[in-house]
Amino acid sequence: MYLLYSFRLALQSLWREKWINLLSVLTIAAGLFMITLTFFVVYNIDLATKRLPARFSVMLYLNDGLPEQETGSIIAQMKKNNAVEQARYIAKDKALEELKGVLKNADYILEGIDENPLPASIEIKLKKESVNIASVKKFVAEIKEIKGIADVEYGEQFLNSINSIKGMAKAGSLSLIIIMSAGVIFVCYSTIKIAFYRRKEEIETFKLLGATRGFIRAPFVIEGSVLGMFGGIASMAAAFAFHYVLFYKVTAAIPILTILVFPLETFPALPVAGLLLGIGGAVIALGRIRFS
Amino acid sequence: MIHFSNVTKFYERQAAIKNITFSIEKGEMVFMTGPSGAGESTLLKIIYLSEKPDEGSVTIAEWDLSKLKESSIPFLRRNIGVVFQDSRLLDNRNVFDNVAIALRIRGMLDSEIQEWVMEILKMVNLRHKAGSFPRALSGGEQQRVVIARAIVGEPTILLADEPTGNLDPDTAAGIARLFKEINARGTTIVIATHNRELYRNTGRRVFRIDGGNMVGEEIG
Repeated sequence: MYLLYSFRLALQSLWREKWINLLSVLTIAAGLFMITLTFFVVYNIDLATKRLPARFSVMLYLNDGLPEQETGSIIAQMKKNNAVEQARYIAKDKALEELKGVLKNADYILEGIDENPLPASIEIKLKKESVNIASVKKFVAEIKEIKGIADVEYGEQFLNSINSIKGMAKAGSLSLIIIMSAGVIFVCYSTIKIAFYRRKEEIETFKLLGATRGFIRAPFVIEGSVLGMFGGIASMAAAFAFHYVLFYKVTAAIPILTILVFPLETFPALPVAGLLLGIGGAVIALGRIRFS
Repeated sequence: MIHFSNVTKFYERQAAIKNITFSIEKGEMVFMTGPSGAGESTLLKIIYLSEKPDEGSVTIAEWDLSKLKESSIPFLRRNIGVVFQDSRLLDNRNVFDNVAIALRIRGMLDSEIQEWVMEILKMVNLRHKAGSFPRALSGGEQQRVVIARAIVGEPTILLADEPTGNLDPDTAAGIARLFKEINARGTTIVIATHNRELYRNTGRRVFRIDGGNMVGEEIG
């Protein structure tokens, strides 16, 4: 019932200290924009690493002269494996042909070699969810036990690199997002704390007249949420400008940047994030209200 | 309505009131008097829960204050109107808003508030000053606003701490008449005062307090 009155009080207070509040809004906007940029970078790193499993494969080199029946059995075994997406047999001749294709003008390297030195192999593509160090190592250990397989090769270093890039990006961004969110909360906290102290006398009178905690807190929580939300709207405008410049201006000059993706869901999320952080800051600033 | 039983309150190890016991019945109007710092204000503060007693027990309208949850304090306070010694009027709000705040706290609708506040302002003869700010009012007018704010929520108890402190005798007499009128409606009133004129020939009980002790009770 008193919410309307609380809104009125909050708006009056916001207007009375408009310049300080504007500064708070801009600071919140800067913080949220930094969070947006961090999220944008991590999102693109994540997207890039998600595309990589398609290029990842495990090569099974077969013993020379392995009978066709045993080769077929190994292939069938691979196809049955839950981690395997696809298993492609590469015969000795096909392997040589592919090598020649790769070498192109440098095929003189193969001159003088009469006998095909390449072994027959099976190229295994793993399912997306299995392309991680633990699963791949487990899979490789399993297939090494299979009779008829001479050697197994996979990009261990490649996998490790992807893993550490992903891990570092996630940890770094998470830390930055936490720090920036704490910063935004702190700005709201300080602004509300100052407003609360400015109106301390009035609040004491309200308490003595029978105001509940809700009645006392409501205008400040509204103030915090308005500051946070306007900060979010301002950061949304900045993010929109960034999006426009990057995707309509910069990509015209540097076309490779078109591979970048800006998640559009970020735009409406910013005012909501600002609002929630603003409420958080206000609630912390008000603490426990005592009556005696 | 109000029962004090062996109540003691210390401020920095010094007793502001000592072992006070009294009872005030519903609908009574009583006075508390004594030299400055005798402890009357502390007694009132205990009644409106601004202070907690260190010893003894206090019961207000069936509410045992020692068992009262902190979250229930606002709801008890709504039953107690207070005329504060320092008025506690909000300088940035006009007379209407100063009085209306007591109703807004209770969650009343704007339309009801408008009607109620104007009615009360009429009773304290300040209807024409509804739009004025406290600083523009005389001492007597300010005091009447404080009384209006204290009674607008129709409390069962009205406490007044030095209600005629800085007022001339005529204005003080006007305030005294107002209290009588409020009491006649059934409100229990406790007035702490140094002003003898306020309780002389009223036929009401007067508690004498000195050095934090209840030293006597007489009829005014």
